[in-house]
Order: sequence, then C-alpha cells, then structure tokens
Amino acid sequence: MDVGAAVVNGSNSRGFLARLRLLFFGDPARRFAWVSLLLTLSLAVSPLKDFFRQWRGYQRQYASYIKSRPDAKALRSRMEPGIHQIWLPRLGVVDRCTTCHLGINEPTLAGASVPEPFRAHPAIPHNPESWGCTVCHRGQGPATKVEEAHEITDSWEQPILPGRFIQASCGTCHYNDLAQAPRLDRGRRLLARLDCTGCHKIAGIARPAMLAPDLTDIGTKVSREWIYKWLKEPRTITDANGNQTVDGVDVGEPRMPTFRLTDAELRDLSAYLSVQRVHPVQPYPFDPRVVAALAKRPDLADQGEARFRQMFCSTCHSLAVTRAGETTLIGGDIGPELTKVGSKVNPDWLVDWLRNPQQYLPNSQMPRYEWSDKDLYEVTQYMERRLTDPSLLADVPHLAPPTEAEIDAGRKLFTDKGCASCHAIQGIPAQKDFGPDLSTIGARNVSQLDFGPAKIPRTLTSYLEAKVSNPLSVNPAGRMPQYHLDKASLTDVTTALLSLTGPPPTLGMEKLMVVQSAAEFHPAGEFGKLYEQYKCYACHKFNGFGGTLAPDLSYEGSRARRAWMIQFMLNPQTVRPTLIFRMPQFNMSKQEATIIADYLKMVMQSPIVDPGVDRKQFTPAMAAAGKELYEKKYACQSCHTIGSAGGYVGPSLSSAGNWLTPGWIEAWLRNPQALVPGTIEPRRNFTSEEIQDLTAYILSLKQGSAPAESTAGAGAAASSSAGGSK
Amino acid sequence: MNRRVLLISAVSAALVSGCARKAAPVKINPLENAYATETDWNNPDHVIPLNYRQAEGKRIFYEQCVWCHADQTPAGPSNRSNVTPAPPLWNDGKTLNPLADAYLEKFTAEGGSAMGQSPMMPPYGRTLTRSEIQAVIAYARAIADPPYNSPATSVQKK
Repeated sequence: MDVGAAVVNGSNSRGFLARLRLLFFGDPARRFAWVSLLLTLSLAVSPLKDFFRQWRGYQRQYASYIKSRPDAKALRSRMEPGIHQIWLPRLGVVDRCTTCHLGINEPTLAGASVPEPFRAHPAIPHNPESWGCTVCHRGQGPATKVEEAHEITDSWEQPILPGRFIQASCGTCHYNDLAQAPRLDRGRRLLARLDCTGCHKIAGIARPAMLAPDLTDIGTKVSREWIYKWLKEPRTITDANGNQTVDGVDVGEPRMPTFRLTDAELRDLSAYLSVQRVHPVQPYPFDPRVVAALAKRPDLADQGEARFRQMFCSTCHSLAVTRAGETTLIGGDIGPELTKVGSKVNPDWLVDWLRNPQQYLPNSQMPRYEWSDKDLYEVTQYMERRLTDPSLLADVPHLAPPTEAEIDAGRKLFTDKGCASCHAIQGIPAQKDFGPDLSTIGARNVSQLDFGPAKIPRTLTSYLEAKVSNPLSVNPAGRMPQYHLDKASLTDVTTALLSLTGPPPTLGMEKLMVVQSAAEFHPAGEFGKLYEQYKCYACHKFNGFGGTLAPDLSYEGSRARRAWMIQFMLNPQTVRPTLIFRMPQFNMSKQEATIIADYLKMVMQSPIVDPGVDRKQFTPAMAAAGKELYEKKYACQSCHTIGSAGGYVGPSLSSAGNWLTPGWIEAWLRNPQALVPGTIEPRRNFTSEEIQDLTAYILSLKQGSAPAESTAGAGAAASSSAGGSK
Repeated sequence: MNRRVLLISAVSAALVSGCARKAAPVKINPLENAYATETDWNNPDHVIPLNYRQAEGKRIFYEQCVWCHADQTPAGPSNRSNVTPAPPLWNDGKTLNPLADAYLEKFTAEGGSAMGQSPMMPPYGRTLTRSEIQAVIAYARAIADPPYNSPATSVQKK
C-alpha cells in the first residue's frame, strides 16, 4: 500500500526512478518474484510464436468458416489440426500445401463462393492425394509460409505457375496431343506452324523436311520489288490487328515473321534473292488451237474461276473476301492465301508450277494435278487477271538492276539474319541452331534470365510473354524476328514453352511420361508414286501420319468397297450432307484410281474387321427387321439421312450398300470408337442379332448406279433400292 | 508487463487479418480465357466464366452434343430441326433447371428410350465416362438461362 502512495506522491523523475527501483528490487523476495516472472514470459515466447504461425491462423479461420456450412459436422470431423503433408517418394513430392488449403478434397466446398485457400480442387483425372500439388502448380512444396510456398525467394526460383498457364504442366508428362488441354495443344501447334524449330531446338517438335520455300529459283518466280515489299512486311492480307483469319478462325499469322530490315538491307537482300535463277523457266507451249479458241472470249476469267472452284483449290488456299467493311480469308490454310497472287508471280512460272509443283519445290504439299491445256490456260488466266492488286507494289521505291556490291551484301545478310535456318538456297549451307535451345526453357530459373531494359515482373512467365510478343523489349540487340500474336495465341505459345521442362526430375516420374507417337508413312512402288503426286497425306492420315483435314484412311481398305473407292476418286462426292466438301478432283486416270484402291484394299486394313463376311448371308427378312430397328427402336434417322429424310450429323446412308463392306458395318455397330477413336457416333449395346439385322438393312441401301462388282446380296438390294424412310 | 504480449498479439492479429482479406473479383478477358468462358447464348455481351469442370463440359458438349442441343454449330446448320420432338437447347434453364443432376446423368447415359422418352436421344454411357457426362451437365448449369440455383445453395439460404 505504501508503494502506491509513493507513486502518487512522486513529483520529480529522480524520485520516481528511485521508487521504481525500490518497487522491483526492494528486497530479495521482490527481486526473485520479478526475475521468475521474466523467465516465465521468455519461456512463453516459443509456444506463443508457434501459436501465431501463419498456417495455424488459416486452420483457425477454416474451423470457423466451416461452421457456416450445412455439412459443418462432417467437415469438422475430417479436419485434422497440424501440418499436413503429401509425401510421394517416387515422384519426389513433399507438399505441405494442404496445411492451409484444407478443403482440397471436400467436394461440398467447390465453387467460387468458397473463399481461398479453402476451396475444393476441381475433379481432375489426377487427384492431389496421389500426385501432390507442386507437380502441376509448381511452388515450394515443403514451405509452410505463404510467401515461401508461392513466390520466388532467395533459395527457391520456381514460383507458383499462374492459373492461365496451368496446362503447361500437363505437357511436362503428356507429350501427345491432349484434348483436355486445348491451350497447350494450340500452343504446340503454333510453335510448329510458326516454324520456331527453324532456329530453336524444341523437344517434341521435329524439324520438317521443308520449313519455308526453297529459294534456289526465287528469281524466276517473283520480282525484286515484290521481294522488297515482302521482306519489309510479310503479310498482304490482315485485319485491323494485323492478324490473319481464315474462315473466321484465327490461324495465328503468316508464318514468315517481320525482320525489321532497313531500306539498305532490303535493297541488298532483294538484289541477292532476285538473281537466284538456277533453273530458268521456259514459257509453256500451249496448244495454239486452245489459246486461239479461248483468248478472245470475254468470259475467259469467269470460266477460269469456275474451274478454280471445281478443282477445290480453296481446300488449301484462301482468298480474301470483304463483307461489310471486314476482310476475312475464306478457304483453307494448308497453302498460302492467293488473293493477290496475280500481282506477285511471273505468269510463266505460274504455269510451270501448276504443271509440276514438286519440280520447283520437292517437299511441297501441293498435289500435281493432271491438267488439260484448256483447264490450265483458263485457271492461270483467271489468276493473272482477277487475283490482282495494281497498288500492291506502290510503296516500293524504284529499284535499279542489282549491282555486284548489293548482291554480295545481300548474300552476307542472308546468313547474318539466319534466313538459311528455314530457307534452302544454293551456295549457302543450312543454318542449324541459330537460336538458343528451348528444350528446358520452361524450367529456367529467373536468375538465369536477362530482362534487359524491360520493366516487367521478374518471373519466367512474364519474360516469355515479353520475349515472344516483342523480342527487343528484353534484348534490344536480339536477332529474333517480330511475330504478331494476339493475346490468346501469346498465352497459348507461352503455355507450350512453359511445358518444355526437360527430362523429368525423378525416375518415378520418368516412368509416367506419355511419349509422343512419332509416325512416318512413305509407301514405295506404284502407290507410293501416286501418294506423292497427289499428296494424299496433306489432308488424310495414314497409320498416324498425315493431315487432319480429311478422314483417316488407315482402315479405309476395311471400310469401303473397291469399286466405290475407284468411283469416288474419279468423281469425288461427299457422303456428308452438311460438310464443306473439300476433296479435289485430280483428273486422275482410271488406272491410277485402281492402283490406289487396290493398295488401300490390301494394306490399310483394321485387324478387328472381318474381311470375309459374306453379303449373301443377309436376307431380305433380316433387312426388314433391321429397318424396323433403324427407324423405331434406335431412331438412327435422328443423325443419318437416307434419301432426303433424316439428320445430318452422321454420313448419309443413302447408298451405304454400295459404299461400305459388311464386315465394317458389323464392327462399327459393335464399337465405333474402336475403328475411329473420337468419332461421335455413340457406342450402343446392340445384341448380335440386332447387329446382323441392321447390317442387312444398311447393305440394302443403294442409290443411283451400282458399281459393277455388286452382285452379292441382290435380294436385299432389290427390297429397298429406293432407300429411305418416309 | 503486458506490452510484449500486446505487441505479439497486435502483430499476429494484423497478420491473420491480412490473410483473411478477400480477393478482388477477377476480371474476365474473353480472348484471354477463350477456353474458360462461354458467351451467353442469348446475350453476346454477357461472358460467363467457367470453372475447370464446366470448361471440360463445354469441350465435350461442342464435340458430341452441339449438333442437336444448339441452334448453331461450329460446322454450320444444327441438326435440331431434324429431330422430333425438338431436343432442349442446352442453355434452356426453364426445361433443364427443374431436372436433378442425377436424372440428367441417367438420361444421358441410358438414352431416351430407357427413360420413357424419345428414342432419338441415344445413350452415351458407353461412349462418355461418368465424369464426362457430369461435366456436360455442369456446363448446362453454368450457361442456363434463367440461371440455375444448385440445391446446395438453396439449402444454405434456408
């Protein structure tokens, strides 16, 4: 009590301190009491520090959050306090993320309304319990602090991967196409399409035989002025954003990037390229009677245009169409767009090219058509007269004949700029690995990156985006040319680059790799010749090799009847009512069509289709039962057309009896996906008898002139040759 | 004597409250999220964000279902007019919202005949996996017009 009075009475600080000393250390008992108290407090620091750890805060928050949920009791019973850890020794995973992300495996905590970090993980094929978190999300698994787990620290350089790039992680193991990761797939396709492999080594993307046109004879094809213009800005048809859109679908952009060349460099390079004429072009001697008959006709170009359309040039080439002020390209993107080709190429070269494209470019995908002089004359006249733009070269300065000095400087520039990485040319060896190897770019540490003057976040993702969208922003002296990618394409390409993390870090993961199926199919013999002449593989797939535009022909020999195939190649017609038909008419001879049909029939067979199924075993009674099943029980007409009635999701079955083999129909009805993976025909649960009856009915559907060999199953054919449900 | 405790608790309170702050609503850039959004079929200005499952459903829908359950398809005209009775549009909330997930899943897996409805709806149980069918239904819920309220949310509201 006296102490209290002393404090109250204290009037100056000196007296106050003295009294304070008295208060604390006045006698041994007091001294001891205070020291003990201090000791207890200092001992309490450790448990307190533990109590206030960040993750404990989250666990307390979670505990109070789940009280508001309808299933609070169940959630509470599954919540275990303490540090959680997913330890997968085989994968090299030690992830403590679930210490704070407590609702990961709670399906009732799904949805954006649940606050992070408590939200459930979406249901994906790889559940977090058996894969861990950092395998896909990156970050520092063992860390228990928010910053250390998610961000770059002094000792950890692989931060959390931003959500929009997450599909990159799928690509670190799945080297094949993966439908569930569309962004990754598109990014990989763009890396291939934009010829990134010209300069960079990229794991999983092979260097094709020809990246860009061989320039050995470029001087016979285009003028120096055109080369100048092209090198300055290699795109003639673009929308307001500089992108190229084909059929409304953005295809990225023209493959040739912009090289930022000065006027002097453009003059030198165009001089060098314009003198590349190793094989001079001779004017083709058209039959004078053809020229005499056609040259004066006022509708010559119209005729040529009609022929251009009939030959399905637009399957691979697009033309710009301007509607309501918006320019879009209509057609395919396998070959270059041709809107202004008449103002680009030398007319003699064009005729020469169309007659035999593979002579000028041995690895071109352009088929060699069989031309009549009349067709060739009409089509080339159409292209030279209509596909033009008189002002195409208006902004090109006057260029005098090339001088020796210009040509020499141009030759040097050709290698300095890395042109020989993609283009072959006589006298200059191909340049390989002109740019850095990108095989492990997706795993690069930030400390290994040179951001140059760029004012961007110091992360790998922002570096890659900056480098791809504007290479000079991170390296003003860089050699990489300028691409013009829209925002979505940029994200896709960055995603694909981030997936390039090199070989897996642990043996356990190496065993999980889904390797890429590399396929080559180059048959020899007579068929091989025709296969190369008509470039069947530009659109069709054969045993995993080839294009995706047209049906996979790997099992065509099992599917189609020989006579139908020959007929189809001579006069292609679509079997799909709503599909834009694209198969060109190559004007091939009957003998050629027969060689192709025989090869497909003999070689391109499915092991699960029985080639020996006899058409005779299918009776009209079975066909009648099949018709009943088709129309009533299974309502196949909702997707298939017979005659003029039915749906147009699947192919028309109007003359399926002429088209398909009985073995194929049976196997298809058993399991369509076994024959064509990914086909949208649903797999049904037919009984064997139903399959027999439906096969009999489908075989009975014949329309028009039946191919010569169809003698079998005549009874069934007679029963409903008109085909068709009412 | 309480100062230190006070200090510790103040700091940790700040820490905890810092962690508790709510994330700002994420702005959706339609181009950026082409795979993770769907434009409202009835309102081109309304872009609907999709979560992983819904986006997966969108992908499968546009492969398998769009031909009959939409009026426009990526390949041109829809097959919907060839099917009688006309199948519901996949964003038709009026028709689909009252139907439970489990019912729609069974309908899709076993087909119309099995459910006493039109045989024109084929069964997908042997073509798509269960989780793929569920994803397509999740996608329908996401784009439903009028919007779909899940039973879980209505329980909460009670």
